[in-house]
Amino acid sequence: MKKKLSVNGVQHTVDVDPSTPLLWVLREQLALTGTKFGCGIAQCGACTVMIDGVPIRSCVLPLASLEGRQVMTIEGLAPSDEKLHPLQQAWIEHQVPQCGYCQSGQLMSAAALLARNPEPTDAEIDGAMQGNICRCGMYGRIRKAIKSAATSRIAQSELHTFDKTDEASDE
Amino acid sequence: MKLHTIITAFLTLALTAASLAKAPSDVDATSSSASEAEALAAWQKVYEVFSHPRCANCHVPEDNIPRWSGPSYGLTQGEWLNHGINITGGESRIGAESIPCMACHQSTNAELPHAPPGAPTWRLAPVEMVWWKKSSQEICQQIKDPKRNGGRSLQEVADHIGHDALVQWGWAPGPGREPAPYSSEEVVNFLESWRVAGAPCPAPTE
Ligand code: FES
Ligand code: FES
Repeated sequence: MKKKLSVNGVQHTVDVDPSTPLLWVLREQLALTGTKFGCGIAQCGACTVMIDGVPIRSCVLPLASLEGRQVMTIEGLAPSDEKLHPLQQAWIEHQVPQCGYCQSGQLMSAAALLARNPEPTDAEIDGAMQGNICRCGMYGRIRKAIKSAATSRIAQSELHTFDKTDEASDE
Repeated sequence: MKLHTIITAFLTLALTAASLAKAPSDVDATSSSASEAEALAAWQKVYEVFSHPRCANCHVPEDNIPRWSGPSYGLTQGEWLNHGINITGGESRIGAESIPCMACHQSTNAELPHAPPGAPTWRLAPVEMVWWKKSSQEICQQIKDPKRNGGRSLQEVADHIGHDALVQWGWAPGPGREPAPYSSEEVVNFLESWRVAGAPCPAPTE
């Protein structure tokens, strides 16, 4: 069945069973493989994307529920090819990733947090990030990187990246 | 003899009159205690449902932590865990302050074992409607109190049980989870029999 889907501001039409989890549509239909499969049952956070600014586990989100909603994946987080999102910049500065497998999910949860709460406390960071599991145990660096992104001037002006909904199309 | 007959007749009449006068109230008393017993039996079934893990796990107190209890989690009666990965519903009771419930709980049940259940809205019940570890009497009093039942009459409470999508989920909780007992129609009927009999609450338990 053909379904329309808006990902990172681009309209796509995909032809899959509407019960297919968004994760597999992203990875297999749209070749957006930055979003990772960890558990497939909403337990690890590796597959986190933003839907209308809210962090959601794409492994359990059926495509059918996405009509008219805006999906943002890790590929859409940077404002342009030349410029990283303040969180991505902070991730590099603090050398957050080890194996890296959990990191696109971590970044999407962190970006959703800063979009609604530009200056989170440690407790608020822990609360928002506790559903993203890191096998390499990088939790301390993740928290530091979020704090430094939040306090940077760049962050203050560029956190609301979800306004970037230019309706380009792949059709 | 004549006097004796008259006295006997008078006494008989008086006793008959007394017994006639008494009879209706005895009948009333018997039927009202029978109907109170029936009402309490109906309430007990409602309590069985409200205190079942499918309901009570999300009717939690001010700590805003959803519970995991019941045989679906391999736990016996009285055992429980906090929801995994340190989840809290926050004061919003929808997780708005940290991780929204809807990050994992979608509008339908996920089909894989141990994957999250879902309903069109997924949230903790308002904090004034706490059922977790509450006695039958405490829940009974809460459900009758419009300040703590969402401003509903008892008929509206029954209607809510019969129609609300998240309540309905309790009887269709997806793979690996034990449904709430009875059916929503039966619970609506239990509530109605209890209401028309005056909605009595049980005595407090020790
Ligand atoms: S893959 Fe979706 S939460 Fe683990
Ligand atoms: S960096 Fe390896 S799992 Fe998080």
